[in-house]
Amino acid sequence: MELVCLGVNHKTAPVEVRERFAVGNTRLGEAARNLLEMACAPEGVVISTCNRTEFYLAAEDGAAAMVRLEQGLAEKVHGHEEPFYRYERKEAARHLCKVVSGLDSMLLGETEIFGQVKQAYQAAHAAGTTGSVLNRIFQKSFSIGKKVRTQTTIQEGSTSIGNVAVELAEKIFGHLKDSEVMVLGAGEMSRLTAQALVSRGAKSVIVANRTHDRAIELAAEMKGRAVRFDDWLEVLKDVDVVISSTGAPHTIIHAAEIESVRRARKFRPLFLIDIAVPRDIAHDCGEIEEVYLYDIDALEQMADEARARRVKQIEECEKIIEGELEKLLR
Amino acid sequence: MDRWFLIAATLLAAVAGVRGLLILRHGQKSHWTVYWMVGVMLCQIGYLGIRGEMRGACPLRSIGEISVFLAWSLTLFYLLVGPVYRISLLGVFTAPVVVLFQALALLPGKLDPNPERIINTTFWGETHSAMSVLAYGALALAAVAGVMFLVLDHQLKEQHLKGGLFRNLPPVRELLVSLERLLWLGMVLLTVGVVAGILMPHETEGGWKHVFVAVGVWGGYVALMAVKRVRGLTGRKFALGAVALFVLSLGVFAFV
Repeated sequence: MELVCLGVNHKTAPVEVRERFAVGNTRLGEAARNLLEMACAPEGVVISTCNRTEFYLAAEDGAAAMVRLEQGLAEKVHGHEEPFYRYERKEAARHLCKVVSGLDSMLLGETEIFGQVKQAYQAAHAAGTTGSVLNRIFQKSFSIGKKVRTQTTIQEGSTSIGNVAVELAEKIFGHLKDSEVMVLGAGEMSRLTAQALVSRGAKSVIVANRTHDRAIELAAEMKGRAVRFDDWLEVLKDVDVVISSTGAPHTIIHAAEIESVRRARKFRPLFLIDIAVPRDIAHDCGEIEEVYLYDIDALEQMADEARARRVKQIEECEKIIEGELEKLLR
Repeated sequence: MDRWFLIAATLLAAVAGVRGLLILRHGQKSHWTVYWMVGVMLCQIGYLGIRGEMRGACPLRSIGEISVFLAWSLTLFYLLVGPVYRISLLGVFTAPVVVLFQALALLPGKLDPNPERIINTTFWGETHSAMSVLAYGALALAAVAGVMFLVLDHQLKEQHLKGGLFRNLPPVRELLVSLERLLWLGMVLLTVGVVAGILMPHETEGGWKHVFVAVGVWGGYVALMAVKRVRGLTGRKFALGAVALFVLSLGVFAFV
């Protein structure tokens, strides 16, 4: 039996093509059964995420099965350039291991893909479309994926501004369940950053925006509360993290304002995240002892460094994959 | 034999510290530090047992003995606090202080190989010595946590966020909570030690001088905690206060 893989992903196809191949989580088993029918193959698994859809087949004549599959899918790519990539035998196994390890992801080293592939495999297994070949190769790919993540630092460090902010907040406050967050300005960047903090357990979110209705909207989305923009200083004494991203042409938080609430705050640590350009928070705020001030450049630099560190790990990850594949195919 | 136990404890602490630092440089956590420190503790107990037999009382009569007891107390509190609060790095910071105290005791002339047997012991006298040194163990560990906070605070302020040390240091808030708890524990023990010191019989003027200094140190810690509780203190001032008071009190006791 030969293993083959046919797929489209973010590197080979735009979203308007990828969406034609997308399969919902609940329909993965059914998609796998359709795949077997289309390719006339005994084993098949369909993986579908927002960035990729991949079809894995095990057949006596892999190349022929792939041709049948391509013919079956031809209608979906009508009017677009060739979007497919194809892998056979060892190449297909290697590709699967890379996918599971996050090496082929848009966000290098991301961990979500591991669970998504596992879910796809389980759905196919439950639908009865896997056999000895795919069971063996998928299970091996999961153990390789785990090994890559534990033996390298491919998933370490945050690669987005929101996650860098979360990482720093956790370094200051530990668990965020006791931390209150104030968002100044209800723009997209502050929404994403606040969402990242909430997803890691931040206790509550308070939103202040010049347009109060927008603040109410964002607060509702975050299950927090909105305050009038002029009242942000009163709230400052209770919060631990401030995310500021207003469109103001001048700074809006100054050292004097923070000084005025220090006693009321009992000099607790305060994390200020300034993601506005021009900046919202005056530079001298960072000189106050208990204040940790990070602007967008600092956060972006940290994200860039994490990405660079991950890229350096690729070779190490590939060595692990090669070694394990050698053992599997020996 | 007591000296050999002490040498072994010092070597084990040195291994714990150096190994921990090397692992840290590679960006990993030193999971074995706690086990090395358990080894240190066992050797210290061996030393204290033999020395106690020789003295016929708690071995706290010379600067060497006090140093070792302090190192034992510091190790004890690390083993109690470190794993509970998952502050694995605390061991890497504690081990060098243990080495320092024990190395001081190993200096020529600091530990009499044939110590004088103590005949006239009193309950209050023994309580004073033991509780005071135990208190200093907790206060020393608080100072270690204070140093860890100062390192992390500096890194966060200056945005020097690379390297294993930053990655493995516990969060600011956890360090401050541990620091405060250790100071409370140290203060309670020190209070018992000071009260026992006042109640113990004093035959010389030097004895009372020692008690006055102890009351002064106790007052310093009470003031630090009171300000923290009532008015509030920045983490940096609180940590600096804990480190400064510990170093100052050690210095004072070395000369009084």
